[in-house]
Amino acid sequence: MTRNPRPKREMRSPLMPRFSEDGPYAHSGDSPETSGETPSAQTTPRANLGALLGDKAMHKFTRARVVLSVAATLAAALAVAACGSSTSAGSGSANNTGPLEFVSFNPFSGPDASFGPEQMAGCVPATMAVEAAGGILKHKQVTCRADDSRGDPADAVPAAEQLIATSSGLIGITGPSSDEASAVVPLFNRAHIPMFGDTGQKVFDHSNFAYFYRITPPDDAVGYAMALYAHDKGYTRAVGVFGNDISSQGTAPTTAAGFRKLGGQIMMQAIPLDQSSYRTEIEQVIAYHPQVIFTEADPQTSATYLSELRQLYHLIPIIGTDGTTQPPWLKAVGNALGKRTFASYYHAAQPYAPTSGPAYQEWRKELAAAASKVAQPASQWDNDSYSMAAWDAVNLISLAAREAGSANPTVFNRYIVKIANGSPGATVVHDFAQGKQALAAGKKVWYIGAVGQITFDRWRNSPGEFEIVKSDGQTPVAIYTAQQVAAAR
Amino acid sequence: MLTSASAFVPSIGFGLVTASILALAAVGFTLQFGITNILNLAYGDLMTASAYIGWVVNQHGGSIAESLLAGAAFGAVSSVLLNRLVYTPFLRRGTGLFGMVIVTLSVGVMVQNALLAIGGATFFTYNFNVGATVHPLGFDLATSQLVIMAIAVGGMIVVQTLLTQTRLGKAMRATAANRSLAQASGIATERVVDAAWLISGVLCGLAGVVLVLNTTAFQSTTGSEFLVVIIAAAMLGGVGRPSGAMVGALVLGLVTEVSAAFVSPSYKELFAFIVLVIVLLVRPTGIFSQFAGGSRQVAA
Repeated sequence: MTRNPRPKREMRSPLMPRFSEDGPYAHSGDSPETSGETPSAQTTPRANLGALLGDKAMHKFTRARVVLSVAATLAAALAVAACGSSTSAGSGSANNTGPLEFVSFNPFSGPDASFGPEQMAGCVPATMAVEAAGGILKHKQVTCRADDSRGDPADAVPAAEQLIATSSGLIGITGPSSDEASAVVPLFNRAHIPMFGDTGQKVFDHSNFAYFYRITPPDDAVGYAMALYAHDKGYTRAVGVFGNDISSQGTAPTTAAGFRKLGGQIMMQAIPLDQSSYRTEIEQVIAYHPQVIFTEADPQTSATYLSELRQLYHLIPIIGTDGTTQPPWLKAVGNALGKRTFASYYHAAQPYAPTSGPAYQEWRKELAAAASKVAQPASQWDNDSYSMAAWDAVNLISLAAREAGSANPTVFNRYIVKIANGSPGATVVHDFAQGKQALAAGKKVWYIGAVGQITFDRWRNSPGEFEIVKSDGQTPVAIYTAQQVAAAR
Repeated sequence: MLTSASAFVPSIGFGLVTASILALAAVGFTLQFGITNILNLAYGDLMTASAYIGWVVNQHGGSIAESLLAGAAFGAVSSVLLNRLVYTPFLRRGTGLFGMVIVTLSVGVMVQNALLAIGGATFFTYNFNVGATVHPLGFDLATSQLVIMAIAVGGMIVVQTLLTQTRLGKAMRATAANRSLAQASGIATERVVDAAWLISGVLCGLAGVVLVLNTTAFQSTTGSEFLVVIIAAAMLGGVGRPSGAMVGALVLGLVTEVSAAFVSPSYKELFAFIVLVIVLLVRPTGIFSQFAGGSRQVAA
């Protein structure tokens, strides 16, 4: 899981243009066009229902479900085949002037319903600005719309298949999140749709999905940053309390490994989500006598767990992942513990993005222009690095299409890395309008976005820096460079 | 993980709290199914809706007792209306058991999305003090959890007494056993069914509020996530048997917490379902279930 509101501050000047030092792939734009393996989707508690009903009706129910599933699968397969799975979804309108569409494929309902609006807060302002700048090539209309994955692979896969099958002008995706990425990234990749994932899963650190990009740090790096901060604070004995879901578990192994490498002792506890009580688990924590808790779970689970910890024992310092800096998490746990108490015990690690400089100013300007079209209050997204990353994603894809002279992702995909990593003599730009102007003047462009300099490695990941923030999710107390975080590995 | 036997007693205490919440919910659920033969998968969402009503009362200065009353009242009224306005018309049109499962599932999704639309994608927390931690019999329980256990025990006694000692209870059992025969015998079965939905709705509402008091924070999906365990408790005791649901809740509550203490918290639900499967292998109709001529009986 990976998201965060951003701090307001003037800590760094924007990075000066320079050439990437990250190896040959960083500049070549060549990428392997492989589909990769599909990690299996998780089963859900709903699967247990059939076993519980156990009568004739349930047999009918099961049979009907099988028939329906087969029919739905066949229908989806036919629909995908009809659209041509070997061609890009955006290619349908690549040679005409029809509308182009970006989609925020994220949870808009379910436990992680806050993820989607965060993506839309970046996607909508960017597409509005692209449209205001005259659109992409001959496509004057460029829009962004939400597509709800519901945060569950079982719901996300049919939603992705429907999106691929029915959208003729789809040019790019902001998302997917950790909840559904393993299940849908292979689908989007096979359909040749560029996606900028907000997933932090380690599996995408070295994946060969040619259309998958990530400009936010992976979860495992967050774990090292958390361990580093605890070490700097002098803690030597910790517990790691992480939900047993995919999102939360993404950070757990590296938190433990990093803390142990730095000389600490740690007990890890994977807890089931949304239980009515965690008192038995807390008894185990009390018996271990920890100085600090590393944690990530959904808001309800964390609120229950930490309030019961306070009842049975007492609070100890808490270091959360960036998943805990989400407003719903801060609200749920803050209310459960009492805001003042919560503030005195809680810190969190989250990706760092500069909050000054020309790119940041462009981002703020475009967000303000789209303020009425994003989740309110719009100011909550001002410093949100995931919204900023979604804004960068739209700009990068739009510029890549403009430079390639085609809205067909199979044509422009390789230009994304080229524009982000820069090339000798390229003109630095910070949004689509600037880039379009430079390209029209016959110049090469180097996009430096709201998240700072983007330097894709050969797996189209761009590692970044981390900060430790207070309970408002914004005020920083420490910043760790990528090198410092790497040292804890 | 705790390694000493000292973990056993506290985990029993925690199991009793879990069982109390589960019992309130499971008895209401099984009562609905036993009398009306409707597997109401919207039950968990009605629990959440009741908890939300209780939260609204709480946010307007209401005490927890008032929130409980409001939740119970909402659960009762909404359950009766749901049966009268949605489920009964489908039954009159001859919708079968499978069809009704889908209808209830649809209602649940609608309730959940209505809550999402009204309350937003956020978490709600009651303003209340859980009270001091007390140690009866070696347990480590908050005062509020003792109150939850008292509500559950009180609720179970009332339901048991109602079913076994009153005319309404006998009428309910007769209706559950054979509705046509009960009607022919002069029992106003429609009123009995209404009463069953009213009583089970009260339990549903109470369960919703006590669940979220214990979890501290809740959202639109909280109740539905609890539904599988509720059904498991009802199945374990024998579907349609309130006393069986009580025992089922107790078994599941204790198994989950004790397994969390001695094996791993990650697998505590797994152990509960292993127990469920083993029991159903030995007694396919649940611990206490009896079937008479194919009809489920509501009995003590």
